Amino acid sequence: MINCSCLIQEGQSPDLNKVEMHAAIQEFATRSFGLEAQIVWIPVAAGDGFTAGKPSTSSVVSITSNEKLDPAPRESLLREFVTLWTNKTGSTSDEIVAVIADPTET
Amino acid sequence: MPLYICSTQKDALDQPAKEKIANAITDIHCSVTGAPASFVHAVFFEDHPQFSPGDKTLLVRGTIRRGRSDAQKSEIAKKIKSSLAEFGGAEAQQVDALIRETPASWVMEGGEIMPEPGEEAEWFATQEARRQGEQL
Repeated sequence: MINCSCLIQEGQSPDLNKVEMHAAIQEFATRSFGLEAQIVWIPVAAGDGFTAGKPSTSSVVSITSNEKLDPAPRESLLREFVTLWTNKTGSTSDEIVAVIADPTET
Repeated sequence: MPLYICSTQKDALDQPAKEKIANAITDIHCSVTGAPASFVHAVFFEDHPQFSPGDKTLLVRGTIRRGRSDAQKSEIAKKIKSSLAEFGGAEAQQVDALIRETPASWVMEGGEIMPEPGEEAEWFATQEARRQGEQL
């Protein structure tokens, strides 16, 4: 299982269908990491999100990989995820901040 | 990135206070680091189980790109704490700001891997060139 948190601006992400996105992220996780994702949706209440001090339309999605990644495969996965997100939500690439982190060292 | 998550107790902040704090966080981050304002995200969670302020009234957890000096990180935290007290109407001991880092190479924004600190100008130039190319 890998962790995926999706911080989204309530009411500002166009066409965000959580059921469809959930399935798409699961498919991405299974194909990319060989594991299912535990997806947590974190809505930011209207008026509570800011970018550059102005009301924000940006989502922040953070995925934790199950293994350390080299830069090239990480960038490839990030590009694939951003394309998935923009295609599914109708948002632009300026409206998605995507993070693929290495697993926490314990 | 950076992302500043401001956790509050219930009804600790009204909307004007949130706007003032969001602007202060943006100004502080940009003035200390030289980063562009468009990179700075600030979100507020009130009485949220996942983002508890603990024993504080207002707590900011900032995640910034790795590579800033300890002095810069301390200055950001100190100034954000001051802004929380000023605009949030809380006692100084009831606010806190924590800064952690993440590698720029782990983050994609604007469709590109984020620049290392100090390489923002080249990054924007590349972005602009790509966009102009897409319009041709």
